[in-house]
This record gives sequence, structure tokens and C-alpha cells, in this order.
Amino acid sequence: MEVEMQERGKVGTLIEKATNSTAAEVDPRLLKAIKSVVRSSDSELRLAAHTLMDLMKRDHSQVRYLTLLIIDELFMRSKLFRTLLVENLDQLLALSVGFRRNMPLPAPPAIASTLRSKAIEFLEKWNASFGIHYRQLRLGFDYLKNTLRFQFPNLQETAARIERERRERERRTREILQNKFETLKANFSSVKEEIRATVDEIGQCLDIVRTKEECMPPILLDDEDFVEFRSAELRQIRLDSLKEGEKVHENNDNKVVFDALRELYKLLVTKHLVSVQERISLLIRVEVADSRSRDSMLKELIDIRNSLMSVKKDCEESGCALPKTAKNNEEEEEDFWEEGNFGSTENEITTKPGKLKVVESSNAEEKSKSIEDRNSKKSNKRSENLAKVPASNKVKAKDKDCGNLSSKGKETLDSENSVRGELLAEAPVLNWGSFLDNWGSVSNRDTLANQKGLELDNHWGRVDYDAVIPAEKIAELNLQATIYQEKLGEIQPCRAPLSKGALCQRRDLKVCPFHGPIIPRDDAGNPINQNSSSDDTDPELGSDLAEQLAKQAVKNVREQDKEEARKRKLAKQSLQREKLAKVREHNEAVLRDAAMASTSRSAAFGEDMGETVGERSVGRRNKQTLASMLRKKVTTKDRLAQRLLNTRATDATIRQMTQGEDATYKEAFPNQW
Amino acid sequence: MWKEIGNREMGKIRPNSFSSQVKSNRISNLQLSNNKDIVSPHRGSINSLQVDLTEGRYLLSGASDASAAVYDIQRPTNYEGNGLIAKHKCLFSVDKQHEKGHKYAISSAIWYPVDTGLFVTGSYDHYVKVWDTNTTQVVMNFKMPGKVYRTAMSPLATSHMLIAAGTEDVQVRLCDIASGAFAHTLSGHRDGVMTVEWSTSSEWVLITGGCDGAIRFWDIRRAGCFLVLDQSQSQLGRRPPILARSAANKVNVSKSLSAGQNSLGKPRAPQKKVANGHGMKQSTIGRMPTKGSARQRLHPGMLSIQDRATAHYGAVTGLKVTDDGMYLLSAGSDSRIKLWDLESGYNTLVNYEMVRLQTSKAIQLAISQDSAQVFVPCMTVVKAFDIWSGKMSLTFLGHYESVNCCWFGSQDQELYTGGNDRQILVWSPCQPITDDMDAGHSKDQDNWSD
Repeated sequence: MEVEMQERGKVGTLIEKATNSTAAEVDPRLLKAIKSVVRSSDSELRLAAHTLMDLMKRDHSQVRYLTLLIIDELFMRSKLFRTLLVENLDQLLALSVGFRRNMPLPAPPAIASTLRSKAIEFLEKWNASFGIHYRQLRLGFDYLKNTLRFQFPNLQETAARIERERRERERRTREILQNKFETLKANFSSVKEEIRATVDEIGQCLDIVRTKEECMPPILLDDEDFVEFRSAELRQIRLDSLKEGEKVHENNDNKVVFDALRELYKLLVTKHLVSVQERISLLIRVEVADSRSRDSMLKELIDIRNSLMSVKKDCEESGCALPKTAKNNEEEEEDFWEEGNFGSTENEITTKPGKLKVVESSNAEEKSKSIEDRNSKKSNKRSENLAKVPASNKVKAKDKDCGNLSSKGKETLDSENSVRGELLAEAPVLNWGSFLDNWGSVSNRDTLANQKGLELDNHWGRVDYDAVIPAEKIAELNLQATIYQEKLGEIQPCRAPLSKGALCQRRDLKVCPFHGPIIPRDDAGNPINQNSSSDDTDPELGSDLAEQLAKQAVKNVREQDKEEARKRKLAKQSLQREKLAKVREHNEAVLRDAAMASTSRSAAFGEDMGETVGERSVGRRNKQTLASMLRKKVTTKDRLAQRLLNTRATDATIRQMTQGEDATYKEAFPNQW
Repeated sequence: MWKEIGNREMGKIRPNSFSSQVKSNRISNLQLSNNKDIVSPHRGSINSLQVDLTEGRYLLSGASDASAAVYDIQRPTNYEGNGLIAKHKCLFSVDKQHEKGHKYAISSAIWYPVDTGLFVTGSYDHYVKVWDTNTTQVVMNFKMPGKVYRTAMSPLATSHMLIAAGTEDVQVRLCDIASGAFAHTLSGHRDGVMTVEWSTSSEWVLITGGCDGAIRFWDIRRAGCFLVLDQSQSQLGRRPPILARSAANKVNVSKSLSAGQNSLGKPRAPQKKVANGHGMKQSTIGRMPTKGSARQRLHPGMLSIQDRATAHYGAVTGLKVTDDGMYLLSAGSDSRIKLWDLESGYNTLVNYEMVRLQTSKAIQLAISQDSAQVFVPCMTVVKAFDIWSGKMSLTFLGHYESVNCCWFGSQDQELYTGGNDRQILVWSPCQPITDDMDAGHSKDQDNWSD
């Protein structure tokens, strides 16, 4: 060992130690030691190069990875190491990149891939810094890059490119801003002029409108008499309506002015305001030499914007029609409803001040008509689109306000609504499926398979254009398929009485392996019969219970009677069981088994009861059924039967269940039967 | 070095031996050249390399992407890395885009031996084309019966202008540039002909190596082949002393003495061979160890047993005649290199420390000018062997895929190799370290940070 260490030299052992680890990096202390040792003498360096190349041949990616890290450290530092290593560069690359197909990288694949990417990265780095001195480096790099098309990270170049692109982009934006600024500076005055012209025109229009308005209110005031409106409520309404009336409304006289105003407003909002905003942001962003002119322009622009805003506000205040038309001119539907609103307010006004009614009545009639049309249309639409429900509700409310006008529309709406609501309440909720495509339509027509618009000509040979998918096949394809979802609920315990006196706490879905099918039981564990015939036994049971109470009161006087009644009931039950078994269409063997099972069970039941009561009489025995006698004679047989019952019971239930499943399956997939 | 120059001045060493000493010294120092890059425009493996024989300045390469290119190896087109790396870009290249270019891989591209005005390419598209270098136009077109594996022109020829073409076909065809027609069709091989080589001693002797493992000698003035090399015929004892053979004249008394039974005419064979092929043929056949009947049949249609002789197991993939024309080196797909004595036609049983050779393609061997070293492409490396002892002297590691061809430029003792990795590498004698490498631009030096 010592000798070997001597042979390998200090650096060899250091390198061995450094690469013998599972860490993702070389221990920095060891690395430093290696470097200092290697630096001290050339022979050590040669030895290190040799050892490292040997280690690269190890059949373990981790060792190779660490070795490669050390190689990189030394490679970047020592010239001698470079010259030594570069001679075997193809081998080094084959061992670290694994480009030779017959020399894939060894075991841990995750580390192998990091080894590869690291090696490629290193090669790029080496080539960038020393490629000029070593043809081999250039060759290796060139081969991997251009022949094998390895993806090099291209670190330097990528960083440089990104930087360059960023700078380029910045420069371009600055240029664009500069250009814009120049143009703005050039035609600033003209722009200002234009805006001012628009604003002036709007002002003039508004003036005209206002002068007309001034002559309107007197008429209103003339006609009013305050006597009618005594209560504050009414007065309030009136004031509101007056305020409404004060607004200038479009009519035949001022239509032209309004049109112009509308145009100008639109121009103002869509063009001037936007452009002013843009210019302001431009001026904020641009960098220019003389900031004074820029600041002054900015100030002016802000002033202009403020004035524009105020003008806009004026417009909106003066004519309520204006902003809406400007805003919603592309949306017909909304537009209309606003108009409707308009109309209704008009109607409201007409009910009270008679004067206006005369003026506007002709318009109102027309409008109401159109409202009706729209309403019916709307309701149709609504049946398609549930999202619009609130909107149409609102409509309905409005319609109620002006009831006489749109009552018809309301009716249609209501009727639609009720029918639809009924249908909706009835409709099942289903998951989506192709069967929904022709829901409710019985398609019993054959379908042409190759006429769906796909051009199939000569694709894989000849195409039969008359190929037909038969109707039953289509029906089959359109069958609704669902995944059975189990209903989850609490599983009830069996609650059959046990010999210890407690109740069976076993929880099973349908059948208890010890006590048969799970049936509802009372607190004592007695079954509460739920069969179809239970309604006529129930009163009896009730009377029985009453009797029992009475008996308890007189202390066992009528015990015998009670027992008899119980027996009667049990017999009836067994009969029912037999009937049920017949109904189930079991074969004869099953019938017999079931009969036996039922009798023994009832007998066992009776025994239990007898024990609890603590009386055993011969007379009672005489009255017992055949089955119970059988049981009395042969107790072992009884036990066996009990056993059998359990298995039979499970068998029977299983059979029953599978039959039920079959039936449902048959129902669900009629085409497969 | 200085001492030798002094000796040379004093007359102790003859100029000839001095120069050969310097050259061999340089050859032994060949290594990958860092400051001479040939920028290959090829997108396929390089199949053929040749420096022109007149100026020793233009390198011609043929590649499997159907392109051929010419480089000036004396004057670089541009420099990189502050003048450290001289880049030799191709002067021109012809490829598929050329209207009359080859369609498939060029397997062989050779210069016209007389000047650099013409070059010849042979391709897998069955054509041999003769190109005018200056106009880069096809001046002549020969349609071959199969893929062309190798073309060759005689470096000595003064009386003919024949391109020998080895193809898939069993026949070797000689294409006459002067007439534009096939001059000869040489039949004898039983399989395709991988490699053809003209003798360096006689302008009429052609050597061909086939996929059937036979190496045949043809005198183009007569019908049929006159010699088939047989690997079982060997002359271990007759291998000449290495030093005497490589350095001095080939006429060697001791050799002829040791020749034993077939000593007839051995010493005068070289002169005869140079003089005319007829004499050589006579002597060769006379030396055949076969008995009586063969001796009577002097006609090329030789005895069938001789006719079936093989030089290699498998195909013969490379042939190279030594500069003096006395010896032939052959490489086969059995990964053997054999040295044949052309006077006797015997295998000299020199054992070259082997190597695996590429078996699927023809390879191009190179011999240094004093016939001391042979450069053999062995898969991804090129190895230099001492011809006479078979000892490996150098290994050239640099290609990343198989090397197909090498060419030794005798003028400045440079080796050019081309391989499947599309690179043409230059191996040159290591430069004396010049310290004037300006420290400003580059620092290839130790850089210890701690």
C-alpha cells in the first residue's frame, strides 16, 4: 500500500480521494491541495494528467464527472497540462461526451447526462479561451458542433447577443420617439388649431341648443298646476320629471344641430382626446436636448386635455343621447334598449303633462310598436341564451311600468317562461356525449359514411362513396354510456340478536354472512317486516305489542296466547318466504332449499324466543310446525341446516343480485341481446 | 543541427545525405499543425487527396458529397487569431451545383501529372471526368460500366496520356485523354478493382488491386497481365539490409548472392525495367518458381494456378509503389500491409505492427520521399511505419472518424490527411518555438490563481 502510494505519488492519492465521493462538486480543500501539489513540479503534473485520464476510463459516471471537474480546473491553469491533455482530446471527449456509439457513458444515467452537458460546456469554454493555440481543441469543437450537431450552450455569445438585442431595441425606440417628437414639434400649432376649431364648433352647437331650450320650459310651466300634486312623493316625482324635461331632447327642429353635435363629439372623443393623451405620454418618455420646449409643450397639451375634458362633460350634460350613441353605436341591441328607455320616460312624462304627449305621441306609438317586436324577438333569444336572463328581467320590470304598451310582449314572455321552467324542472342533468346530438329524435335512417366532406379520393385505394352505416349501428354508436357511480352512505349494522344477548354489529351492504339479508330491526333485534304484505301484519304486530304490555302488567297470565300469536305470525312469514321464492323463479332444488332454510330459521327464532321467555311446554311443541319438530329430533341436523342457511342465503342473495344486474344490463344495452 | 551544417561545409557529409538527414529529422517530428488550417468546403467524407506533382503547391481533394476542391497550400487566403492561424480556403470547388458536376460521391481526384491545367475525377455515378482547372469546366467525359473506385495517371508517361480507372466492373479501362476514348480494356480480375497504380519505374506498367484479393501487373503494350502477386511466395532471406537498401543504390551484390537459385539477371533488373517493360517481363517470368509448363508458356495467358494467386485475403484496398519503383506496398481488407519486391514478385514478409484497416473503402497510402516511412490510415488514426522494419514510428491522432486518404508533400515534409469527419488536417514538422509571439493578444501560459 505504501509502495503503491509512493508510486502513484501524492497527487495520485489526492485525486483518487477527491473523485471518490458522491458529492456534486469536488471537495474544495482537496482541489486546492491538488493544485498546489501539481504546481510544484512538472512531473507531478504529468502524473496528474495520467491519473486523470485513467480515472476518466472508470466505468462510473460520477467518477468521470468529478475527474472532469478537476481536469477543467487544471486545464484552465496549466499550459503543460493542456498540451498533455489535448493530445488525447478525442479520447477525453469520447469518455465525457460519449459521442462514440460503441462507448456510451456508464451507469447512473442522471449523472451521465450532467457529465455530458458539463463536458460540452467545458469544451466550449476551452475552445473560446485556448482554441487559438490548440488545433485539437478547435477540431473537437468543430466536430461536435458541425458534424455531430451537439447543442452547445453558447454562453458568451448568447449573453452578448441578448445584450446587443436589448441595446438595439432601446436605440430603436429612442429613435422612434425622437422622430415622433420632431413631427409633433413641426405641426404642433396646426394640431392645436384643429382641436380649437372642434371645440369652438361644439361650443356653438351647444349655444344653439341652449337657446332652443330656453323657449321650452315656459310652456311647461304654463301648463302645470301645483294643486294636483299635493303629497311630497308626488312632488318629488314631478320634480324629477321636470328635471328630465329640462334636458334638451332631440326633435325635428334641432335634429340637424344634434347630428352635428354628435359628429363633433365623436371626433373629440375618438380622435382629439386620444391623440392628446398619446402626445402627452410621448413627451414624458422622449429624451431631448432642449427640455424647455418640451416642458412648455407638455404644459400646453395638459391644458388642452383639461379643456377637452370639460367640453366633453358639457356635451354629456347637455344632451343625454350623445354619450350613449357615441359609446354604443356599434351595438344595435343595447342601442335599441336605450331608445326604449327613452320612450318609456317619454311615456311617463306624457301621463302627467298633457302638452308633451301631444308633441311626442306620434313618435311614442311608433316606438311602442317596435318595442313589442323587439320584445318577442328578445324572448326568443332569451330561450337560447340563459346568460341574458337578468337583462330581460329588467326589461320585464320596465314593461310592467308601462303596462298598457307592452302587455302583449309580457304575456308571451311569461308563457314562454313557464313552459320552459316546467321543462327545465323536468329535464335530467346529463354528462355531455355524442348521443346528445340527436337527443329525442329517433333516427332510423342509414347514413352515408364517405360523404362527410373529407376528400378521400385515391388515398388508400378506391373509395366506396355509397358506403352506408346502418341505422341500428348508428343507434348503437349513439347509445348513452355512463359510468356507474356507487351511492355512498352509511352502511347499517346487521343488528340480528346474538346468543349473548347483544346485537350483531357487523356492517355489510346487503347480506350478513351469519344472519342473512340485512333487514330493518327494532331495538331488540326483531325484524320489522317491510314486505309487500307487511301492511296487514303491522296492525297485528301492534296489537301484539299491546298485548305484551298487558301481559307484563298481569305477569305472564296470557303467555300461551301470546306464544300462539307469535307462532301464527311466524308461519305466515315462512309462507310469504316460500311465495317469494316461487316468484323469484328459482328451480326446484333452490325452492326446496329455500323452504328448508326458512323453516329452520323460523324455528330457531322461536327457540330463541322461548329461551328468553324461559318456558318450554309440550303442548306448545305439539303445535309446532313440521320443520321445528324435525329440528327438535335432530339437533345436529339443525345445526347443519343453520350452516346451510347461511351459505344458501348468501348464494340466493348473490344470485338475486346478479340477476338484477343482468336485467339492468339488458335494459341498458338492448342491442347486445 | 549546427554541427551537421558545419560538417556539410567541411565536406564531411555529402549534401545529399545532409538534406535527407534534415528531412528525416523533420518527418520524425510531424505533428498536427496549429497554424495551418485547411478549411474544407466538403460536406462529406474526404476520399482522395493529392498535391500537384509539378509545383507541389495545389492540393486537390475529392469528397463523397460529389465535390472536389483545390487549395493553395503555400499561400493562405486569410489569417485568424492575430496572424497565428493561417487559413487555406479552397481556391475553387466543383460540386453538384455545377451543371456537369458529378452526381454521387467522388472517389478519386488526381492531377494531370504534367501540369495543373487539368485534373481528373472519378465518381460513383460511373463517370470519369477531366476538368479544366482554369475554367472549371468538364472537358472530357468517360462513361464507365460501374462505380469508379480509383483513377490513376502515370507520373512518368511521356508517350501516352492514359487514365487507368478501376471500377466495380472486373475490367480495368484505360481512358485516353488525347482521343477521348477507351484505349484498353484489361480483363483478368474476377471482381471489382479497388485500386490502380502506375509503376514509378516504367510508364507502361500498371498495377491493379481487386476485390478478389489479386494484385495484377499489366504491360499496356501487350494483352493480358504478366504478373499476379502471390502471398504464399515469399522471400524472407532476400530482404535487403535496411540501411543499404534505403540509403544507397539498389544494386547490391550481397543480395544477388543470397538470391540463390533464381539469381539470373537480378542485378540488372532495375536497369532493364527502366529501359523497357519487355525485359522486365522476361526476367519476371523467368523467375517464376513454377515448373516446366509455365516456363514454356510465355504468353500472358498464364497458367491458371498462377492466375488464381491472391495477394490478400479479401480485397486489396490500397497500393503504393516506392519512389524508385522497386517495391510495392499493398493494404488489404484483411488488415494487413505487405511489402512486395517487384523484381521477384515475392512477399517480403515484413511485419507491420498492426492495426485495423478500414475494409469498406479504398484507402490511400503515402510514402515519404526517401522511402523510409509509410503513412497508413488505420481507422481514426494515421500511423507511420518504417517500411523496412515494419516498426511503427508515429501515430497521428486528430481525426474523429475514419481516415480515408493521406498524401505526403515532399517539398516541405507535410502530411495531409482526409477522413470521414470532413476535415483535411495538415501535419507539419513542429515549428521552432518563436518567442516573438506577441504577448499582447494571447497568453497560452500558466495561469495559477492560487
